[in-house]
Amino acid sequence: MKTSGKFIVHDLPVKLAGVKVAPVSVDNDDDDSAIPAELRNWLVRLRLLEGVPFANLVADSELLPSESIRWFYIDRRWTDALVQGALSVGTVNTDDRTQLTANYPAIREELDAEERNLRRARGTNRWKGGAGPISGFLLRSQAVSGWPALHVRAFNVDPANGDDARYHEDDPRRMRLLRLERLAPAVLLCMFDGIPSLVHMEEPRQGVQFGFDAKLEDGQIEATLRPRNRSTFEYLGGSPIEVPFRSGGAAGVIDIQQLERRLAALPETGAADSLESSEYALQLVRFPYRQVFGEVTEPELSMVFRPTVSYERVAKLFKEVL
Amino acid sequence: MAVGEGKFLLYSFIDPPLPVGEYRFRTDLLLSGTDSTGTRDADDMPVQQLDTHVRIRTPRYQLPPDQVLSTFPPANTEGAYGSRLPQVVIKRRTLPWERDLAGQPSTTPWLALVLIAEGEAELMMNQPVDHCVTPGVTLPGIADSQLGNYLKLRKSVINRVFPTCKDVPLLAHAREVDIHDTELMMGDDDGFLAVVVSNRLPVPGRDANGDEVPVKYLACLINLEGQFDALLPEAPPVSSRFSDLTLFAELPVDVAQWDHIASGHTASTLNPEIGIGLAGPFGPIGPGGTPADAAAADGNDPAPLADGFAAGPTSRLMPNAPAGAAAYIPTASWSIEDAIDQPVSVYHEMARDFAVAGSLHQFDNLDFITRDPVYRFPVLLHWSFTSTGNKTFRRLMEDLDSGLLSSLPDQPRLATPGRPPIEVVETGHVGLPHRTRRGDAVRSWYRGPLVPHPTKDPASGRLSLAHAADQLRIVVPDGREDLSLAAAFEIGRLIALSRPGIVGSMMRWRQAGYLSARRLSILEINADLLDELFGEVSPIVDNPLPHVVIGREFVKRVTLAPGELLGPPRAMFDPGRPLELDEPALDLLTTGFAIDTGILSGTPTEMLDSLRSFQVPVARQLGDVGEIGGLVEGGLLGGLQKQAIAATLHAGLDLELQGLVSDTLAGQFDLNPVVGPAMPRTTPIAPNRGRGRAPRRDALDRLNADITFDAHTDRGDVS
Repeated sequence: MKTSGKFIVHDLPVKLAGVKVAPVSVDNDDDDSAIPAELRNWLVRLRLLEGVPFANLVADSELLPSESIRWFYIDRRWTDALVQGALSVGTVNTDDRTQLTANYPAIREELDAEERNLRRARGTNRWKGGAGPISGFLLRSQAVSGWPALHVRAFNVDPANGDDARYHEDDPRRMRLLRLERLAPAVLLCMFDGIPSLVHMEEPRQGVQFGFDAKLEDGQIEATLRPRNRSTFEYLGGSPIEVPFRSGGAAGVIDIQQLERRLAALPETGAADSLESSEYALQLVRFPYRQVFGEVTEPELSMVFRPTVSYERVAKLFKEVL
Repeated sequence: MAVGEGKFLLYSFIDPPLPVGEYRFRTDLLLSGTDSTGTRDADDMPVQQLDTHVRIRTPRYQLPPDQVLSTFPPANTEGAYGSRLPQVVIKRRTLPWERDLAGQPSTTPWLALVLIAEGEAELMMNQPVDHCVTPGVTLPGIADSQLGNYLKLRKSVINRVFPTCKDVPLLAHAREVDIHDTELMMGDDDGFLAVVVSNRLPVPGRDANGDEVPVKYLACLINLEGQFDALLPEAPPVSSRFSDLTLFAELPVDVAQWDHIASGHTASTLNPEIGIGLAGPFGPIGPGGTPADAAAADGNDPAPLADGFAAGPTSRLMPNAPAGAAAYIPTASWSIEDAIDQPVSVYHEMARDFAVAGSLHQFDNLDFITRDPVYRFPVLLHWSFTSTGNKTFRRLMEDLDSGLLSSLPDQPRLATPGRPPIEVVETGHVGLPHRTRRGDAVRSWYRGPLVPHPTKDPASGRLSLAHAADQLRIVVPDGREDLSLAAAFEIGRLIALSRPGIVGSMMRWRQAGYLSARRLSILEINADLLDELFGEVSPIVDNPLPHVVIGREFVKRVTLAPGELLGPPRAMFDPGRPLELDEPALDLLTTGFAIDTGILSGTPTEMLDSLRSFQVPVARQLGDVGEIGGLVEGGLLGGLQKQAIAATLHAGLDLELQGLVSDTLAGQFDLNPVVGPAMPRTTPIAPNRGRGRAPRRDALDRLNADITFDAHTDRGDVS
């Protein structure tokens, strides 16, 4: 048994991601199945942990502190045991158990394939294929409660240049979401069909917004603006402009004329020959913020994983006992 | 120019083809032509001049709801909007420039979006439109509605909150978007939108301790017509003494006063004292200064008092602005000390938080009015939202503690009585207290479905099927139990049991599968029969639903060749049964008619003579019932007995016949002497027709009446 944390954290996911079963698309939806559809759908949702008490997902609140994101892999043995428990209902005699034993491999195979189809868009082809690894994250943050319907996208592209990755839902570089659900007002559970190397989490889009990069420090707001080129919409180099507030004005009232004078120092903004409303709006356009998760450089194990009992200690203890 | 996908164009303004006003189109038609008399001009063929009057209208007091495509921040929401400027998107691209402000170029919009924090102004709802502008100001033209809303606030607040005259043109622009982009279009029809942006960030407030408190803001789209000069001409110069403060903005509030926002309700008691306490530079207000009194003093109809009246907080630039500072005077130099602490009423829910005459009127003394007059601006659209905290999405995301599950925070919790420190193994297992079935308190390992690293399936494949949770309990070498999988099994079982529908479905599925399996085994045993039925290749061997296949195949075979499986069809009719004559014909005849054999002998003439003279035996009337009963019970009757019965019956029948005829004919002859005797007129005989007269019973009736039935047999079985 390998007890190297590095192997388990770094090498194993990569190895598994490489050998994962590529799902294929199938056309017909009428195959004979080992289990009735309504039962199958329920078991698939159960296998994606629907209805499982949160305390059984995260055994201690300390494992998911507030304002944290915790990444995980799904233990298929656990979910298999979960399904077995559900299937055991009503098996009262040996006949029932014999029958279940005979049918179980086919049922498990069907559930493996069907868990991909749970979030399949209506009208698209069904997916088939064996069970691959499932990964995901638990996010406990005010971002979940304050920004409902935030976007989560996962890719298996190189994180080094994946900040602006935009792939269609069917693109093989885009990982499918198996589940994206708020378990509590501030807890988001997300599960991917595979092991992504890059995850985007984006502020919900609400049309074009105007504003600044504001920072509240010690109860005072400090706003800055990164000026843009009037023609190309690209950010100009240099430091951001500090946004002035009106002297003697109410909280948050912008001193637009002074801002104009500051912008006028940068001719590319178009403010030099008096600022127009379209130019002003162009400088203020804000896009939804996107947080990119994906390590370009291999992080230290201690940065991402801090248990209290190490593998080495467990191995040593086991050796002593055995 | 078409806008590319995902792009949009910004315009500083879009001039309407015709400004708002009344117009007259004068139409002249000049005709000319030639005919036989020569050339004819317009004088020869005059056409009457046509005047068409056209009125170009645009909203003035109320923005039609269909003109509003979106407002940001969304109405009635709560969020960290402190870094985003409120905006309203209007459907008609020219709307902000459709009215002209006196003395201003047409590029200056007549609309401005102002952001009012609670306590800065009042919103008056549903007032006559001539009350919606500052007294003394009249707006020419026709009003678009009878009632309107207006914002009532002091000049000092205008100076501190409203955009300056130079700001207003920069705060409205038009946008052209790709008409295929539904997100940017927002429901528009032509791809052109007008946008009005506010000049103020909805920053959250903070209390005396520096903690953030949510602040409710009211965004109002106001009409600047006729009152543009009420705005500051330009932003005041930055005071050198406070130059660095211009980088900051803050909204200190008193938590006690903002409590109702944080907790989602408004104080329910009228308490002017709170407002008095916050009056700041204006000193305390007397007990008579209730809102209703103040409204009456203002000459307005007192608006109904909202249920949840509460005094508002103080808004100021710095928390320690000196009490008693002088009110703002436009001509004075700008400094922090000039800022006014302006207490006004705070009400809950959108406009109601900002409505109803309040403490503004409490300062209606002459001196104050001249120094800080009250203005009214028509409000075309308003909505409110609450700005909370500085935690923007970006800040939250950047500050997230990211790690693998089972990773502990930097500062794990300390052991407390009853809760030992958490024990996490690198495998993801957590040590948990466990009470065994025998009652022992032990610690066991548990790991949920979410693990910090991929799990490898054992070489034998996936987890084998278990039928009970105990099959999945594992004892690890350190002596503790690992209950992870056993717990999973139990949870799955309990979740399934909690869903009766699922249990029912599972039982049905199991039952159907069981029956199918049973049928299949029976069919396998009866393979010979199936071969006969289906031929050599049986289609049911691998089929999961054999009964369906067998049923269908059977029907098919029966339809195609019924003779093979069911036998030939029944004949259309059955042949008759031959008569069996086991005696000489003469004997049969004489026996059947109960006559002597001698009669039927001799020549035909003799035979006929004999028959004519032969007295046919008839049944005589039976003397009593017992005679017949005895006869019947006696079984078969002998030949003489039959004759005797026949004679008796015959005699009885004759008697009856005579009786019937005489009864029927009695009095029925028509004895008309002219016409003479005629045939009797008979009337149909109906049983029981006579009133009270019972019908005569014949022998058969009596016979029937005397038959007794066995209670245990069918009625037809005579006992």
